[in-house]
Amino acid sequence: MPWNKEFQVPLGLFGLIVVQFFCAVFFIGDVVADYRAMGGFTGGVHFWFEMLAALSLLVTITFEAGLLMRMLRRAAHLQGRLAVTKLAVYDVIEAEFEAWKLSPAEADVASFLVKGFGIAEIATLRGSAEGTVKAHLNAIYRKSGAHSRGDVLSLLIDRLLDEQTN
Amino acid sequence: MKRIFVWDIAVRSFHWLLVIAFAANALVIDDDSKLHNQVGYVVLTLVLLRIVWGFVGRGYARFASFPPSVDGVKEQLTDIATQRRHAHVGHSPLGALMIYNLIASLLVLCLSGYLMTTDMFWGTEWTEELHELAAIWTEASVVMHILAVIFESKRTGVDLPRSMVSGYKDMPEG
Repeated sequence: MPWNKEFQVPLGLFGLIVVQFFCAVFFIGDVVADYRAMGGFTGGVHFWFEMLAALSLLVTITFEAGLLMRMLRRAAHLQGRLAVTKLAVYDVIEAEFEAWKLSPAEADVASFLVKGFGIAEIATLRGSAEGTVKAHLNAIYRKSGAHSRGDVLSLLIDRLLDEQTN
Repeated sequence: MKRIFVWDIAVRSFHWLLVIAFAANALVIDDDSKLHNQVGYVVLTLVLLRIVWGFVGRGYARFASFPPSVDGVKEQLTDIATQRRHAHVGHSPLGALMIYNLIASLLVLCLSGYLMTTDMFWGTEWTEELHELAAIWTEASVVMHILAVIFESKRTGVDLPRSMVSGYKDMPEG
């Protein structure tokens, strides 16, 4: 069976974000110092370019943070060495969760659900109360149009079979 | 809910005295005044005392209770990404990194500020540049620290600011 390379928590990306944040703070500090030194927006084009560059860096960092969160969720639901087939199955399931517009918490509960965990177990795994997990389950049912756990699984299996024939 | 005593009186006093001294120097007091230097010495003393307390103190005040942990950071980042609610009794792994970052930044800030007052380095450019860089970095860290505390209080349901006042954390059961 072909194996995908080990799926890991993207710590390197987290480190890069920290480094970029340090740079952004340095550049923004520079912009603020220039502003103070000149006593207002009198620095002309160079000042505005400086500010634009610093702000773009901040915007990129927020996008990277979003990507990091996505990769973390993926790593959380796919641990260890993975067969390529399992990865493909997960891709379909993840796409379906996204189509249902599940929140990260709901998608987490749903993926535990698919793995066969009960409400009490999911509550322990997520460090939350059982009532909270039930609320997430209701949201999953509402968003997917399912009425029970079995229904949710049927929808997913249906989708997987569709994928096979396409 | 289980009520656990986490922050002793030394840690809490250190925290709030540092808040007052740092905010005063960063926001209120004139940078070139004598008072700025004196408040700077107060900050340095507080940080050095905290470092000593990290070795001789008890419980969650000890550095040994929150060593930098790669696995811990991985777990906490995963919890954040999946909106899980696991709470930590002492410092969380990312919180611990912030504490070490703040202690190191404050040491650089205080030492570079002190060097600026010595005969040997008075008027040198690099001490002044270093002091300003350390100030900006520490201020940004403080802002991140406050935002992270608010975010983590919401995520875990444990009121972190209150625990730094009362010393107790109300931990969820289980």
